[in-house]
Amino acid sequence: MTPLVELRHVNRTFKKGRTPIPVLQDINLAVAPNEILCLVGESGCGKTTTGKIMAGLLDASSGEMLYEGRSLVAYRGQARADARRALQIVHQDPFASLNPAHTIGQILSYPLKRHNMVQGRAAVRRRIWELLTLVDLTPPGDIVNKFPHQLSGGQRQRVSIARALTVEPRLIVADEAVSMVDVSIRISLLKMLHRLRDELNVAIVFITHDLALAKYFAWEGRIAVMYLGRVVEIGATANVIGHPAHPYTRALIAAIPEADPELTRNKQRMKLRSEDIPSLTQIPPGCSFHPRCPFFVPGVCDTRVPPLENAPGFSQDVACIPLTSGMGLQEWAPVEDMVADGP
Amino acid sequence: MIGFEMTATLSGLLIGMVCGLVPLIVGIRTHTLKPGIMGFVACTFSGFACGFLGGIPMILLATAVVISHAYIDREDPFTSRASIDEVSFEESWQDFALRKLAGLGRTVRASTHALVRNKAGFLGFLGLLFFFLMTVFGPSFIEYDGSAHLERRQPGARSLFQGPSAEFPLGLDWQGRDVLSHIVYGGRTLILTSVEAGIITTIIAVLLGSMAALLGGVVDQLLSAASNFILTIPQFPLLLVLASLVNFDSPIYLALLFAALGWPALMRAVRAQVLSLRERDYVQAAVALDLGLPHIISREVLPNMISYIVVNMIFSIRAAMYSLVGLMFLGMVPLREPDWGMMIFMGRQQGALFNTAAASMLLSPILAIALFQLSLVLFTRSLEEIFNPRLRSGV
Ligand SMILES: Nc1ncnc2c1ncn2[C@@H]1O[C@H](COP(=O)(O)OP(=O)(O)OP(=O)(O)O)[C@@H](O)[C@H]1O
Ligand SMILES: [Mg+2]
Repeated sequence: MTPLVELRHVNRTFKKGRTPIPVLQDINLAVAPNEILCLVGESGCGKTTTGKIMAGLLDASSGEMLYEGRSLVAYRGQARADARRALQIVHQDPFASLNPAHTIGQILSYPLKRHNMVQGRAAVRRRIWELLTLVDLTPPGDIVNKFPHQLSGGQRQRVSIARALTVEPRLIVADEAVSMVDVSIRISLLKMLHRLRDELNVAIVFITHDLALAKYFAWEGRIAVMYLGRVVEIGATANVIGHPAHPYTRALIAAIPEADPELTRNKQRMKLRSEDIPSLTQIPPGCSFHPRCPFFVPGVCDTRVPPLENAPGFSQDVACIPLTSGMGLQEWAPVEDMVADGP
Repeated sequence: MIGFEMTATLSGLLIGMVCGLVPLIVGIRTHTLKPGIMGFVACTFSGFACGFLGGIPMILLATAVVISHAYIDREDPFTSRASIDEVSFEESWQDFALRKLAGLGRTVRASTHALVRNKAGFLGFLGLLFFFLMTVFGPSFIEYDGSAHLERRQPGARSLFQGPSAEFPLGLDWQGRDVLSHIVYGGRTLILTSVEAGIITTIIAVLLGSMAALLGGVVDQLLSAASNFILTIPQFPLLLVLASLVNFDSPIYLALLFAALGWPALMRAVRAQVLSLRERDYVQAAVALDLGLPHIISREVLPNMISYIVVNMIFSIRAAMYSLVGLMFLGMVPLREPDWGMMIFMGRQQGALFNTAAASMLLSPILAIALFQLSLVLFTRSLEEIFNPRLRSGV
């Protein structure tokens, strides 16, 4: 089956003054229709940038973004508009994502009218009612005439989602969509997203820095772990969480607070060689994680950029040469020894 | 241009009363008599002051307010708590128009509440209203006094200057003319020219600023260079030189000159605002929803800048008035009497500075200008509340 969207060898640089900063390097990701894909990684690793490229809001510096098997730039006219609309994004900050000057009813009516999603005034009002019900904002009559500042963060996030749904998208990029709302609201928002995915046949790219959240949300989907602008591990959530391959993924799991027993079971003692995340202007050669990696193999990890491929013994893809080349786990020195006689 | 040019006329009063019938009748029909009567008064007043220009827009506003009062008890199907199958979303054109008018009326009411709520701003509004009334209605009550009251001359006095008296509350000027009448008649040109200058400045600044921000590249660089260049010129001396070279026989040329020199600062601020608004999440969402550039500019970006723009327009008006008075004080602008600026200039020339009897003649225009400026600045407080949906709805 052709993926709904696919990133092929996507690079993205931002210019800071004269120097170009490589924010994304050689990203390859595919999202199937109705799939859940989770992007996790530390702050600044390029999750939002990836999400924006997938949503068609940002162009790749090089590489291709494909929608239904065709490059997005190859679409023309109405097809292009349709493709653009099929890709929607829900932002992180519920306080910045709704225009303070409009009521909720207006916010939802603009895209409905602009794209003739329904015909006539009565139909527009009916559709607004339906959408608000769909995102659990009931009774809709209490919401339509309110301004965004009169709603809570969770309610606003629901409005953002309803707004994305006005144009009947095929993919919703949810960029940290629940990280700024109350923990008590989070679960119900996530459940709602799940329900929308089932009912409306949309794919969801869920961006988060919280692995526990990713595990909860994407249990039936896939997780892609990003580090410094690259995908270092990707696979079914159960595999990535239950049997993490890349040292960075292991470190992330080790850093999760003890609250989640299932994650805790897979934990092993991890001590990184360095806590500092390298700057994007000075990305280390070879595997960009090697200066921090406790399993660093000199002469291997710092010379060649590891390709993202299947490693023996794992069902997910991982970008780690010692793993993929089958050098095996036993060759790696235990954490304590590494620290004792480290380089 | 903004009503100052018109004076209260009888026909204006008639126009206003006819206009006022609309909200009054609507009020009687909908049993909301009090708003109806208030609407009638408002229409009469604004028709009286500005003729058709004031009366007709006021019909719409006043009627909307009346309807917003009447509409409150009406059941909007949308706000019912019934399930979707029980709600009828069909709406006749009349109901639609009523709902829209009621919405407009609610906005008007919320704006007046916001205006009254901010004490300082309301004070400023009252001040401006005072000057408006004085300029528009004053001439109906006080005649322009261009002749010398020689009969008032005190025996042995060295000049015709006189302090306040019962007959002439603000005294007499160097020719023995009534100062009060000059104050009443003398604000029009000054205020009008300053307001024109402020509006033109703002229009130029907003247009160029959004162009620079949205087009970027060469346009941005050229405009930034031009604004930098103008900003580095010492403005007032340049105005002086230009004013002495060019003969400004019409105030509009002066307004244009002020605008030509005044746009850069505001243009840079607008550019920065548009640049930052462009990156807002809701603008990005509008792009993703493919709502189109006209929608994004007019509905997403501008509404969130309008308070900023209007407040800065007020500041431009203020700055223009200062420059204008400064030029007049130096005698560089050959504007005709009566004019507050000319009063200060002539007073100084005629030795008012050294004559205690001339104090009221010299202080009156100064006070009028200062009060007008103060009212403007205070009024911006209310404007901020009126244009901010968050403050307007009072949460
Ligand atoms: N428009 C831009 N101009 C310049 N640099 C940018 C721009 N957008 C992002 N960056 C840089 O790209 C890097 C990755 O940004 P991105 O927002 O994609 O990270 P992220 O993974 O979403 O982080 P976070 O978890 O903090 O949201 C950051 O270093 C950021 O400074
Ligand atoms: Mg981000």
